[in-house]
Formats: sequence, structure tokens, C-alpha cells
Amino acid sequence: MGKLIGDLRPVYVIGIGWHRYQYLSETSYVELGLKAIRDALADADIPWSEVQSSYVAHARLGMAVGRPMLRHLGAYGQPLVHVENASASGSTAFRHACIEVASGISDVVLAVGVDKPSAARTRASTGIPSLADDAIVPFTQFALLTNQYAAKHGVKPQDIALVAVKNHSNGALNPNAQRQKVRTLEEVVEGRPIAGTLTPLQCTPVGEGAAAAIVASEAAIKRLSVDAGRAIRVLSSTAGSETAQEPLNYDSALSRRIMQQSMAEAAVASRDLDVLEVHDAFTIEELLYAEATGICPEGRFIPMLKEGAFNIGGKCAISPSGGLLACGHPVGPTGIGQIGEIVTQLRGEAGPRQQRGARTGLAHMVGVGAVCYVHILQK
Amino acid sequence: MDESKEQPAALFQRTGTSALPDHPALIGGECLSCGNVFFPKQRFGCERCGSVNLKERTLTGRGKVLTCAKVHEHRSSGREAPFTVAAVLMEDGPMVRALLDPATADVTNIGDMVVTSLVPETRPNRGEFDIRLTRAVR
Repeated sequence: MGKLIGDLRPVYVIGIGWHRYQYLSETSYVELGLKAIRDALADADIPWSEVQSSYVAHARLGMAVGRPMLRHLGAYGQPLVHVENASASGSTAFRHACIEVASGISDVVLAVGVDKPSAARTRASTGIPSLADDAIVPFTQFALLTNQYAAKHGVKPQDIALVAVKNHSNGALNPNAQRQKVRTLEEVVEGRPIAGTLTPLQCTPVGEGAAAAIVASEAAIKRLSVDAGRAIRVLSSTAGSETAQEPLNYDSALSRRIMQQSMAEAAVASRDLDVLEVHDAFTIEELLYAEATGICPEGRFIPMLKEGAFNIGGKCAISPSGGLLACGHPVGPTGIGQIGEIVTQLRGEAGPRQQRGARTGLAHMVGVGAVCYVHILQK
Repeated sequence: MDESKEQPAALFQRTGTSALPDHPALIGGECLSCGNVFFPKQRFGCERCGSVNLKERTLTGRGKVLTCAKVHEHRSSGREAPFTVAAVLMEDGPMVRALLDPATADVTNIGDMVVTSLVPETRPNRGEFDIRLTRAVR
């Protein structure tokens, strides 16, 4: 049996930063990334020279993009790793930064995600064809799952679209969100049809941006005189990949397994979760993954959503950042941005989107493959 | 029609199985170690147990619709929207995602049985025929 994060040295997030997620611009990825890293360093109030190792997450920029970015912080010769794990790239970088600190190899480590949309880079052929390989894209898969959920639980497309209404409302309060506009249910459901009942406002925008998180040991917090009152403990870091048992809704089955494992590692129950950031690239995903945590029984998400249970100020604030639907999904940064939102919430620094009394938060991402990463943080 | 013209990728054959001779069979595989039946055929290893002790197995082409959705917008070349995709649990075991026959797509619902049918292939370099799933007559 291997060790868990909780079996090793405690790990804390001491600094977070972003470059706002936005539509594709002329801004170079270097500028995007440096903004997030410098903000994270300023947030932690430590110099770059104290960062002993870096993990750079990206999925769409090509090979070895980290060094041309990090050199402008001062090239001190620290180790550097590039991480690509589809949508979960940022979460993966964060996990490995935590592992490096927890293991005692380093005391202060950076995880940064940066990305820009670029010419489509599809995975090389596996050599195995399929009947619909050129007809199924992510929104097609989630249109299928939307219709399946709606039929199984007797909910209407307008009910599922309420997730987008909530998340756009939250995103309007987040200065780092790509979409910062409150949307009505009519605006959401009356958009042009894409697949099934999905409309553009029920699908994440994939733009550009950056997010950074600095993790540190207790020893580093003391040595660098970091404000311990703003340091947020990483209780668990859990990862897995899909099994052969669930061919259709593999992301949900995988998420349920990893979320439950992560809560067990963190010794928290679903009722303890005050804030969730889940991989809501499409409205249906928030339902499926929220139910996977156990915060509501399967099929009960919509009634509880309508009661306000998942709004900021409700039982558990889900996607207070706006989630992928409104905050955006630049891919490399997304999982690290989720960590930043949870940290902001647990510090009580989220301003108008603050979940009052938030003490425990869970961040969840899946990635094509499928892989799943879950982190639980606590004040 | 020339019987020798198979799809380059060998996803299906024009002839059916003995259980369903009037519908083209899908070409899948079976793991001789754990019994897992899969589609499409591949020789890399069993997803369930990792064994490379695999053999070809034809599937009847009949199954139950788990879910389906009409695609209104699609940017990939070769497929013109609208079309309807479905996830189907084949009676031989595997789940298959494929396009529904436009003639019956609008009246095909979750829980319906569908069967394979051949349609002319319109995409280049893909052979003469393609497969659609058609709502089975009850």
C-alpha cells in the first residue's frame, strides 16, 4: 500500500494568481503566465528565488514552453517539468507540486497553467477506427448524457439550463472570468442549438489565460514569514483513470470513485463540503459530478438547485467562480484556477461571491482519457 | 455489388450473422482469457484484463438505444449536420456509438431497438458503404 498526501508532510497553498481568462488575443503566453506567477508570488509575499521547483501545465502550446516564460523571473536553475493531461493538466501539475513538498524533496513549489487556443492539435491515430469517430466531439457526448439524464429523472431541458443561469450569475462577480454577464433562462435556452438541447451558454468557452498556485511546507511558511492565517491546507490529492466497466458515462463513474476516495483520504464527508468547483464544461456535467460527491442523492440535483441549495449562500456553493461555463476553460490553467477559487473562498476573501463560513472545499477535473483529479482543501 | 469490397477499417461486413442474416454484422472481438466482447476489433490487448489472446467475433448489429441526440452544428469535415448520434448497447455486449438512419431518427427513442443498415459512403477514401442504425420494426 502506498502513502497518501495526508500521511506525509502537511502541504499548504500560500500564493495564488491569475491572468484573466479571455478570448484569444495577441497577448503572448509568456505575458499571460508571468502575470499569474507574479501575482501568486505577491500574494504569498515571497521572492521567486525561494521557489525551488516548477510544474508548467498546458495542452495547446507545443513543446517546452516553460523555460521561455520562467526565465523572465530570473533564471536561477531550478527544476522544471511540463505537464499535459488534457483538461486535467493544471490539476495534475498541482498534484505533483503537492507531492514534491509533501515528500520533503522541496519546501516551496510553483504550479502554473497557461494556454492559448491554437490550431487544432488532435491526438495521433491509435490505429483503431470507430463508426462515428468524426461525428462525436465533446459536446455530442454530453448532449447524449443530457438526454439520458433527462429521460431517467424526468427533468426538462430548461431545468438543466438553470445550471448555466447560476454559473453565469457567479461569473459576473468574478474579475478573472471570461464571461462576466448575468444571463436569463430565456437567453440560455434560446441560443442556437448545437447538439441535443445544448446551446452556446451551456458550453464552456475555451479561451486563453493563466493561473498559478504556490505550495509550501510548514517549515517554509515559518522560515519565509508567510502569513500562516492565509495558508490553506491541502488535505487530499487523489487521481485515477477510467476502468472498462462504464463505457458510456465513464467520467461520472470515475469521478464518483475518485471523489469518494479523496473524501476518505481527507476524512471529510460530503456534508462537510462548503464549496465545490467541478468540471462543468457542459451544464449536465455539474449535475453528474455534484451527485457523484454525495451532496445530494442521484436525480435530486435539480429540485435542490431550484431551492437555492447550490447558490452562493446555499447549503454548498457550486462553481462560485462561475465554473468552466462562465469563468472559462483555457485548459492548462483551469484546474489551478479552481484551486485558486477554493483558496480565496476559504480565506474569506471572495468579496461579493463569498460563501459565508466556508471551511472545506473540493476541486474536481476530468480529462480526456479519461482521467480524474480531486483535491480537498481546508482552512 | 462487389462482395470483395470491404471497408478499409473493417468495422463491418455486408453479410449478417446467422442470428440476424439480413443486417450487416459489426466486426468486433472477444477476449479468450476473460470473455470480454468488444467493438471494434483490435489486436492490442483486452481493455478488461490486458490479455492479447483475442479473436475476431462478429456482432449481430442489433441493440437497445441507451441515449441519442440530434447534432445541429458540426465542424468536422465529412459529416454534414444535422444528424443524430446514438449510444447503443448491442445484444452481444459492447456499447457502440453510431449515427442513426435519418429515415427513422426522429421517431427513435431511448429504449428502442435498432439494427444495422448499409448506406452509401459519401466520405472520400472510406470505401463504398457506411453503417447506420435503423429503428427495428416491432
